[in-house]
Amino acid sequence: MTKTSDQASLDQWYVLGAIGDFPAGTTKPTRLLGADLEVRRGPGGAFEIAELGRNGTLPVDLRYGHLWTSLGSPGRPIFALPENDEPDRRAVYCGGVHVRASGLRVVENFLDLAHFPYVHTEILGTESMPEVARYQVEHREEVDEVWATKCTFFQPKAAAAADGGQISQYMYRVTSPFHVMLYKTPPTAPNRWDVIALFVQPVEEDYSIAHPFMLVIDEVSSDADLIAFQQMIFLQDRIVLENQRPRLLPLAPGRETPTRGDLSSVIYRRWLKEKGVRFGVEEPAHYAHA
Amino acid sequence: MSDPDDLWHPVALSTAVPAGVTRAVILDGQEIVLWRGADGATHAWEDRCPHRGMRLSYGFVRGSALNCLYHGWEYEGSSRCVRIPAHPDLDVPKTIKARSYALVEAGGLVWINLAGDAAPAAPSIDAGAPLISVAVDRPIADLRAFLRATSTYPAVIREDIFDGVALLLTLHPVGPAKTMLHALTIGGSDLPAARRSYAAAVRGLRDEAETVAKVA
Repeated sequence: MTKTSDQASLDQWYVLGAIGDFPAGTTKPTRLLGADLEVRRGPGGAFEIAELGRNGTLPVDLRYGHLWTSLGSPGRPIFALPENDEPDRRAVYCGGVHVRASGLRVVENFLDLAHFPYVHTEILGTESMPEVARYQVEHREEVDEVWATKCTFFQPKAAAAADGGQISQYMYRVTSPFHVMLYKTPPTAPNRWDVIALFVQPVEEDYSIAHPFMLVIDEVSSDADLIAFQQMIFLQDRIVLENQRPRLLPLAPGRETPTRGDLSSVIYRRWLKEKGVRFGVEEPAHYAHA
Repeated sequence: MSDPDDLWHPVALSTAVPAGVTRAVILDGQEIVLWRGADGATHAWEDRCPHRGMRLSYGFVRGSALNCLYHGWEYEGSSRCVRIPAHPDLDVPKTIKARSYALVEAGGLVWINLAGDAAPAAPSIDAGAPLISVAVDRPIADLRAFLRATSTYPAVIREDIFDGVALLLTLHPVGPAKTMLHALTIGGSDLPAARRSYAAAVRGLRDEAETVAKVA
């Protein structure tokens, strides 16, 4: 496809990969919002990003270990992630995961608690304890972010370092339509929050690259263990994400059936609609015949 | 093809849907899940959970209910959702249902009709012994012409392949260029070696249909 005309999606920052994915002195093609890009890294390490068929270069930002750019005018800087500066945290890059699904479906699945017992069975949830307790969701207008707080869930193996079950506390934060992160009580430091972010690079309306990024308190696990755990979880999610119909996220009421436990999805979708996001959204014409 | 909405389509061999399993089929571009519960009843629903659109063919059958893989929503045979595990105490609203289609089993085949309750009388065909289903990369019209089908759609075609053995060949359209061919036998042997040779004959027909020049 060609580049989207969806201005709400164009005017955002996006991750194209971890900085380490782009060795000095190399050129890499990639795609974003239907546009062809070229990432060039000079021998000294400096980045240049160009959109094919368009003069000039795109903005470059190196933040949280990742390469960021925009095809439009974001109007505000990349969101704050203060945990990135805490010296005792480990930053773990998991590598981009390609998913044949709308990036908005990827974000929505990341916000979902109720699937833990069925998709991540005996890891992030267990069938004998499937209940989603009430939690709170709000649109924080001063920062224009969606937050879900006071989330709890029983987890047989909450993280790579867990050696037993725990009731995990969660907070979720959506900083832009394609960027989401969670804060979760780590097995090793109950008074801190692990941060797991998912930076989604929307390639096509129904094709995305998800870049998971962890900032964790864990002195025990190796990087390989942490990455393997995260990849196992994400590959389980991918089975669902690639088999949802329609592939694009429906925003029209009545197309899907939310319940109380889906409150974060309800607020997220309302927020997308208010922003006028269209990339990865099902057009009404797609289901007019149904 | 004529309006497919009021036609009975043979979409699978009955033996392809044993109790406790789901099977995904595509009929003229529409994704459908077939499943059979412990009570022996077979069901044909839209392959999509009304909650979040997950394909129900990825779900799991327990007893006589189908459960969605994504969140474990449980659907009884009537296609009504009867349990939402995230809210164990919730009395699930009666309006939450999977979309269901009319289904009958006849002659060793599962037939479905997208018209649902408005479907006309079910087909009546001779009983055959289910043999094999093969996908053919041909439009259904080409395949009917290749097989010299004479009866009305959906065709039931007999071909004598060996002495005393006839093949019942039935077709359902998958998409514009793909057709499923479901083959059953009448007469012949039940021995595995014989069944294998009959199945090989069907695959031979498939290969021939795919390689011959497109039939007008």
